[in-house]
Amino acid sequence: MIEHLSAEQISQWIIGDRPLELRQHVAECAECRAELGQLESALAQFRTAMREPASSVPPPAWHHPEPRSAPWFSWPRLVLIATALLVLVAVPVTWKARNHEQALRAQAAQTALADSRLLESVDAEISQAVPQPMEPLVTLATWNSNSTEQNQKTQRQ
Amino acid sequence: MEQSSLVEWMATAVTSSCELDDFESVVRLHWSRIFRFALASLRDRHAAETLTQDCFFRAYKARDRFRGEASVSTWLMQIAVNQVRDHLRDRRLQFWKRARQTAVDVTAAAGWIADAGATPETAALLKEQVQAVWDATGSLSERQRTVFLLRFVEDLDVLEIAAATGLKEGTVKIHLFRALQAVRKRIRKTK
Repeated sequence: MIEHLSAEQISQWIIGDRPLELRQHVAECAECRAELGQLESALAQFRTAMREPASSVPPPAWHHPEPRSAPWFSWPRLVLIATALLVLVAVPVTWKARNHEQALRAQAAQTALADSRLLESVDAEISQAVPQPMEPLVTLATWNSNSTEQNQKTQRQ
Repeated sequence: MEQSSLVEWMATAVTSSCELDDFESVVRLHWSRIFRFALASLRDRHAAETLTQDCFFRAYKARDRFRGEASVSTWLMQIAVNQVRDHLRDRRLQFWKRARQTAVDVTAAAGWIADAGATPETAALLKEQVQAVWDATGSLSERQRTVFLLRFVEDLDVLEIAAATGLKEGTVKIHLFRALQAVRKRIRKTK
């Protein structure tokens, strides 16, 4: 026979764990019954007191939350914006560069043509033995030398 | 799992899932309970209302993941317990916000209950006892208080408390024992 319920046994009783030995003791011991009764009463009053303020607050009307719109900042959106910006910047730059290249090529072609013409004229000039205005003299000189040679040959004979 | 218990489990799961389809009814049915637990835990009406709304909002968002392993009531209480824990941790960091303008006065309710046909002496004693339990729960650790409130305000049994808090059955009992000892000590002082 236990003398009085320990603190642990009282807790055990309150949470509903009541073995035969405890039940026998509580049935026979007025002091422990009083102790348990007081605690049970306090807990019951506490429960009622806690339920009162809560019951005075009615539940609000429930509105199904709207699916939230996607936040402005998100990685896929950021990548998309960056790509668009890149395209916007890159296309005019590439287009300009390509035009510039074409212009340069055309200019180079023109220069090459002019150069080749100049070279041709220079070649033509270099290939001439005497300047064009003096060409009749060259013919005369050639004719003179030829007649002198013929005279010398006839004298030898 | 035996065939009968498997069938029972499946029936519960289907019933619980169907219950969630009409979410407005879920809110109507469980609002008071969740709010009461939040109010007793946080002791602030405004914070409790916000937490309760947030609890149902989270539950609504997560309703597709509910598999019916526990009842809807226990599932909602799990969410509320986690939210209370998070809230109290946040508040511990924001210690300068402790002055609460919407704090609950439990003694007002105790006075109202005691007035119902009790003698002035009995009414005073009851009011003191309620105040003692209220003060004692305030001094408990967050986990002990949660377990205590779930048992003695929400009338959950040890297994249900274990499901709602994620604690083992033995751990729930230990927290309950310690909480009850603290409450007993405080009540004795009122004698």
